Amino acid sequence: MMESLLKLHNIQTHIGQFHILQGIQFEARVGEVSVLLGRNGAGKTTTLKTIMGLTPASSGSITFLNEEISKKPTYEIANTGIGYVPEDQGIFAQLTVEENIKVAMRKETSEAFERQEYVLTLFPDLKKFWKKAGGNLSGGQKQMLAMARAFVNDSKLLLIDEPSKGLAPIVVEKVMEAIMEMKKRTTIVLVEQNFFMASRIGDTFTLIDDGRTVHTGAMNELISDDAMKHKYLGIG
Amino acid sequence: MKTSNLVSKYHVLFLIILLFLIAFPFVADSRTLTILFTQIFIFSILAMSYDILLGYTGIVSFGHAMFFGIGAYATAILLNTFEPTIGVFIGSIAVGIVLSGFVSFLVGLLTLRLKSHFFAMLTLAISGLLLVVAEKWRTVTKGNDGFTFRAPDIFKDRIVFYFCVLACLVIVFLILRRFVQSPLGRLLIAVRENEQRTRSLGFKTLHYKVIASVVAGVIASLAGSLYAVSLRFVNTSVMAMDITLDALLMTIIGGVGTLVGPIVGSVVIEFAQHYLSGLARDFPIFERWIIFFGIIYILAVIFFPKGIVGSILQALSKWKSKHEDRKIFALEKDKEHSP
Amino acid sequence: MDLLISLIINGLATGMLIFLLAAGLTLIFGLMDVLNFSHGGLFVWGAYTGVFTYIITESFIVGIMVAILTGMVLGFLMEKLIITPVYGNHVQQILITLGFMLVLQEMIKVVFGPNAIPVKVPDYLAGSWEMGEVIIIKYRIFIIVVGFIVFGVFHYILTHTKIGLIVRAGVMNKEMVQALGINIKKVFLFVFMTGAALAAIGGMLMAPYSGSIYAEMGMEFAILGFIVVVIGGMGSFSGSLLAAILVGLAGSFMAYYIPFLSLAVNMILMAIVLIFRPQGLFRMAKE
Ligand SMILES: Nc1ncnc2c1ncn2[C@@H]1O[C@H](COP(=O)(O)OP(=O)(O)O)[C@@H](O)[C@H]1O
Ligand SMILES: [Mg+2]
Repeated sequence: MMESLLKLHNIQTHIGQFHILQGIQFEARVGEVSVLLGRNGAGKTTTLKTIMGLTPASSGSITFLNEEISKKPTYEIANTGIGYVPEDQGIFAQLTVEENIKVAMRKETSEAFERQEYVLTLFPDLKKFWKKAGGNLSGGQKQMLAMARAFVNDSKLLLIDEPSKGLAPIVVEKVMEAIMEMKKRTTIVLVEQNFFMASRIGDTFTLIDDGRTVHTGAMNELISDDAMKHKYLGIG
Repeated sequence: MKTSNLVSKYHVLFLIILLFLIAFPFVADSRTLTILFTQIFIFSILAMSYDILLGYTGIVSFGHAMFFGIGAYATAILLNTFEPTIGVFIGSIAVGIVLSGFVSFLVGLLTLRLKSHFFAMLTLAISGLLLVVAEKWRTVTKGNDGFTFRAPDIFKDRIVFYFCVLACLVIVFLILRRFVQSPLGRLLIAVRENEQRTRSLGFKTLHYKVIASVVAGVIASLAGSLYAVSLRFVNTSVMAMDITLDALLMTIIGGVGTLVGPIVGSVVIEFAQHYLSGLARDFPIFERWIIFFGIIYILAVIFFPKGIVGSILQALSKWKSKHEDRKIFALEKDKEHSP
Repeated sequence: MDLLISLIINGLATGMLIFLLAAGLTLIFGLMDVLNFSHGGLFVWGAYTGVFTYIITESFIVGIMVAILTGMVLGFLMEKLIITPVYGNHVQQILITLGFMLVLQEMIKVVFGPNAIPVKVPDYLAGSWEMGEVIIIKYRIFIIVVGFIVFGVFHYILTHTKIGLIVRAGVMNKEMVQALGINIKKVFLFVFMTGAALAAIGGMLMAPYSGSIYAEMGMEFAILGFIVVVIGGMGSFSGSLLAAILVGLAGSFMAYYIPFLSLAVNMILMAIVLIFRPQGLFRMAKE
């Protein structure tokens, strides 16, 4: 069994007076892709935001590299080595592709530029539109930029929220290939509604329903469990 | 049973205060204090009207002085132009109210859909504009020099005017209390608490905000009319930012979101102002009494956002619930002990 | 012709002063969603501390330095004591910054006395150039030049440095900036202090221009600053320069041709922009 990198235990999150997460737990192990699954509105996005400290947990624990991070401010959490690709990609619309990546790059070391070069080989489109404003990119290119931005720092963990959302199938394929490539270098927590994609690249899964973890296990388990798929994902 | 008990307790308190205020001018026989009290009543009316916006609806307006000014000028100009009779006085109040109602309706409709920052800024600008108009339109307003005018003869007696203003205060208080306790008032509070949600429940929040702004404008105009008569003089300072700031200070320090708060606030501020400017003869620093208020005000916004009245009410209810907890606790203990 | 030029120079000079005040306002608003009603206090405090130093040391440059220092120190205190405690609550923010404005204004009277203080243009900037019919007052040109230099420097910083990039990114999406590992609070404090220093410089430059300083000038100029921020588009640095020039020119021309409307025209302009184009005249809607 591989070493645990991120661990959520009984996470509760309130937004305003709403109790959104009511007991999330799962574990991401080094080198694996952990997929969060669940219906729309189940709380997947909020789970990622809570990890990032954007909607801080009101109780429960989040350990990353054996350190409690749930009380830290967002920027410190990012600096402990977590990259975040939000659901809406969070591109700085008036900055160019280059500037978007530059903002993200914390230390302009040769190692960081090497990572930048690497990520540009994964997404050659970005190189092509290097000086184009982020807001003028296509949906797929925005997704790639967001992923590149999260990757240029030496992140030990990437949180990626529904990268295939709203993209044409052919673009989805490209994005998924890039994730498979990134997986070689980093651990990933992925929110993915597209079960076919999720089952292809996920090692483990966590099923979230109504703000709670209802099941977590190896992906193979879920692939063969039609009843569970039907109950929580409405498929199979 | 408990609440009705409570309410009647408050009623008794109000009655005592009212009786005191009625007896006051006869007992005290102090011209200065009678005038000071009259001033307090007028500013209580103004501050209550401001609280309808700030405390009940959650709107920060920096232009409230314009309605006060409209009332003051309406009364001053009409009393100056026609015979200074009670009839003209009442008519002038009505004119001020109609004008203010119209202006506040128009301004509200145009500006209340803006976010709070922009609204505050725009009201600041609009009232600034009206101030400029008042200053330049010298044929009517006599600008910054202002003009004196004759008040109705019956108000020559300060005590009569005192009672007239007191009556206005009581009536306005009762009307506004009805207003804030009505379903409409509850809606305003809902807007304050969460405008988004109120809107998503299907209420046209803009309408309610406009209504609040008209009510506030109309009442402020009444206060302005009374103010002009109390001075028998009017100049552009009735439209100045300072008037809005006074209302703001009184409301914040007294307690937003209650009607008693602004009254308490105006008592505190007017008295403090009176005595501090008295002290200023010996200690010039007190000429800048506004600094003290400013600092208290800032501290209040940060630490006691509910003001004097709100904080007292909170402390009371906390104390009460503790008290009740203890009672329940004692009861339960009794139970435990009984076989 | 000569009249036209002198009105333009007048308008540009006033516009630059407003720009110095509005630049900080607009960035602070864009970055943190805070509309600082006490920004005018920095302007007037910059003017008074700068002028006092100028009178004592007889050096205008030292006066400007002191004004900048005052601006940064006051900006630091303001951000820590006044803005941070009510961060995120608009109503409280508006109330508290206005209250602080009042305190700053009255403190001027306590510290420096309630009377207006006359200020002279330093010798080397006094006087004027005559070109045929046209008389050009040197100090006005000085203000315009300083204004453009400040704009140029900050424009360069915003577009060509890392911190500038971060500030611009923060205006667009501050959550994301934090998620990229940047402590936005530090950035905000930095921007706040810089904006405060700019306002203080504006006040100091204003002093010899208008010939005297008085406590209320902070609020008066702040209102012009708000107008500029609205017209230029909240958060837009370049927009605020354009808007400031527009407001300055409008003021100067109106003051000459229709004095009655000189203040009104800018307010009306702001009202129209707010009501019909809240994102500002010079700014595309966000994204
Ligand atoms: N800012 C918010 N305020 C109130 N409720 C929210 C907010 N953000 C999300 N929610 C609610 O939280 C629940 C989970 O949302 P989310 O995490 O986005 O779900 P998912 O990503 O699984 O589709 C939803 O019911 C949503 O309505
Ligand atoms: Mg989601």
